[in-house]
Amino acid sequence: MTEMNQDLFQIQIADDTESEHIAAPQYSYWRSVFRKFFSSKLAIFMMILSGTVILLSIIQPMFSGYSPNVTPNINRPEMKYIRPNATYWFGTDDVGNSLFDAVWKGTGTSLFVAFVATAITTVLGVVVGMWWGFSKRVDRIMIEVYNIVSNIPVTLIAMILAYALGSGVWQIIFALSVTSWVSTAYFIRVQVMIIRDREYNLASRCLGTPTWKVITHNILPYLISVIMTSISRDVPSFISYEVFLSFIGVGLGQQYASLGRMIQQYSPYMTSTPYLFWIPVAISAIISVSLYIVGQTLADASDPRTHMI
Amino acid sequence: MKKYILRRILKSIVSIFAVVSIIIVMIYTMVPSEKVFDNDAGAKKMKGDQLTTYKLRKLEELGYLDFASRLEMCTATFGDDAKACQDGDEAMNAQAVEAFAAKGYEIKELKSGEQYAVHNYRWYELLWRFYSKLVVVDSKNAIQDPDNPDLEHKYYWGKNPYNGTPALLCSGCTYKYQMYFNGTFPFIHQNKFKLNFGTSFPTNQGVATTQVINDGQGSNKKISQTFETGLEEESALIQTSCQYKYLTDHLDEKRFTDHYATCRSFHESPSMVETSYILGLIALVIAYVMAIPLGISMAQHKDKAIDKIGIAYINLLIAVPSLAFIFFMRSIGTLFNLPDKFPQLGFKDIRSYIMPVLILALLQTPSLMMWLRRYMIDQSNADYVKFARAKGLSQREIFRKHILRNAIIPIVNGIPGSIILCISGALITESAFAVPGMGKMLPDAIKQTNNNMVITLVFIFTALSILSVLIGDLLMTVVDPRISLTEKGGE
Repeated sequence: MTEMNQDLFQIQIADDTESEHIAAPQYSYWRSVFRKFFSSKLAIFMMILSGTVILLSIIQPMFSGYSPNVTPNINRPEMKYIRPNATYWFGTDDVGNSLFDAVWKGTGTSLFVAFVATAITTVLGVVVGMWWGFSKRVDRIMIEVYNIVSNIPVTLIAMILAYALGSGVWQIIFALSVTSWVSTAYFIRVQVMIIRDREYNLASRCLGTPTWKVITHNILPYLISVIMTSISRDVPSFISYEVFLSFIGVGLGQQYASLGRMIQQYSPYMTSTPYLFWIPVAISAIISVSLYIVGQTLADASDPRTHMI
Repeated sequence: MKKYILRRILKSIVSIFAVVSIIIVMIYTMVPSEKVFDNDAGAKKMKGDQLTTYKLRKLEELGYLDFASRLEMCTATFGDDAKACQDGDEAMNAQAVEAFAAKGYEIKELKSGEQYAVHNYRWYELLWRFYSKLVVVDSKNAIQDPDNPDLEHKYYWGKNPYNGTPALLCSGCTYKYQMYFNGTFPFIHQNKFKLNFGTSFPTNQGVATTQVINDGQGSNKKISQTFETGLEEESALIQTSCQYKYLTDHLDEKRFTDHYATCRSFHESPSMVETSYILGLIALVIAYVMAIPLGISMAQHKDKAIDKIGIAYINLLIAVPSLAFIFFMRSIGTLFNLPDKFPQLGFKDIRSYIMPVLILALLQTPSLMMWLRRYMIDQSNADYVKFARAKGLSQREIFRKHILRNAIIPIVNGIPGSIILCISGALITESAFAVPGMGKMLPDAIKQTNNNMVITLVFIFTALSILSVLIGDLLMTVVDPRISLTEKGGE
């Protein structure tokens, strides 16, 4: 046994500020969201894919200047139905235009419709849903509106509206978003009602926090993942609706390039020139799947409960 | 509970009328009325004044406007003394025109210089006109035929000529068979109350829209039957559907002892409603048979391979546009020599049905699987499950006897909806396969500007979906007595 010696000890100075510090790891909400999101390889791949598609659909039409009404090659049979090759990556269509140009222009239109409709649906849905969840009076009126609207197939309403309003990008957007925001609002209402009466909100209210601040500071952050989930479902479903409406002939008119219109236009060519038909179908499937997976992963990542280390 | 159901039914009716009203007003005021003639062969052959008058008459018939030609204005203004006016008395004409202008009609001129009056219906007039003639009730005094003064006005009991079951017959009504029984759904048939949505135009011109979707399709099917006169004949006529005919001909007299001789016919192929129903019901059964075991095994093996594959499948089907999925499946079908369009092989060949049914079923599986898995996983953390485990029950038993019974309740809620909505058909699938069902009829009617048909279908679809939600809720209370739809007192 060694002898107790003064040298074996070290003098420590008691530091009050140091002892106050809690040794928990630094937590930043958004950094955790991104760390969680980027830990999924599939999500990164899908994000790159959807990013590429979105950028192509924005940038490519600027250079090609494609418009379905401009058909310089319509009288040159040798320009029509060229199979995909090095010059025409996606081949040429029935009027001799490059399908590559047409597809990106069409994707742009379809994405624009889907994004704007989702934006309208989400903003209206969240704002009204918040109000709906808080106010009893609004609840009484809105629940009746919801009972009427929710019982009717969205497809039916969108079809009839698109038919009555006529074909055009804004008409389609209106037809798609006019009823779908109600179900988003209802979804938010239920979430708000669940969170509204939790203890921390009661405490907050007792301390005199105004309702507005309770909504924006206490409840909204909680709903980010829920809202993300709803967005990630809305975008593909709106793309799907646009494609369907144009397919049955009530969507966008002849003067617009859109994926749905192309699918409708080329479905009789399925066996003779299959690329004309399958390329738009494949693109529509790729964008909706990639956006859906990115959205779902982001929704998971933005839920603070998944941030545990 | 009774009070609740009553209130719920009332509310449902209000919602149906709200939706249908909005859609009627939108269709009549927002779709340009010119579009009606885009697909009309009759209008293409005419020009000038003849075309203008034809269009106005047609629009009047379709309920867009009230049109009065010079002659009609004369008749309306002067009644019995209209002859001079009609012959061209200018002062009287001017008076007639003035009378119509005062009533709010727009006075216009044909190219020939002849004046006519038009009044476009406003939204409340459109609605009033639609609802006032919506329900037609047949009564024993419905037919007043001056050429047939011996016509009795009475109800009496008779027999259904096909199966001999009793039937309520009527003399003097529009329909002879007021009520009868047979072996086809819904077994009790009646002709007393009819919904009148107007006639179809431009396709199936002059035929009531309800008849278009209810009548068989394809060529007439002749069956051997005995008529009232004792005549035995191979005939396609459906005797139970006969209506009063004012002018009977020789053939009719050979078959019928009375004036009820305008009958519908048997057809080779089922009607649009039946077609959608056949496809939908089979698909529904397949969907549930596939989705329920899959959903259960996903929940049982949470986070294992089967669960992950299942989730990937669900996500893929939700994300891929259904149209793309349908076309993809259809091209797989052609690899197996299945037709890519329903009419290629027609109703008789079973191969026509395989792909549409399979696609319809697959499209329904993801949401079923997802919800069943979700409910089962939620339930598996409940206290009663822990208790069952503590009692020593096997995992299988717990899942089958405890969790599934609780998790299936919300699924039960959706079953009536799925069954009833089979009638509406699957819009997308039927369009892609050109299946002659209700689902394809709506896009077709829209493309042809067949407004009455669009309104009919919207009415039917809306009524069905609202009804199915109601039945679903009621069924849920039957399956699970703990659920009460009425609000409890207190608070």
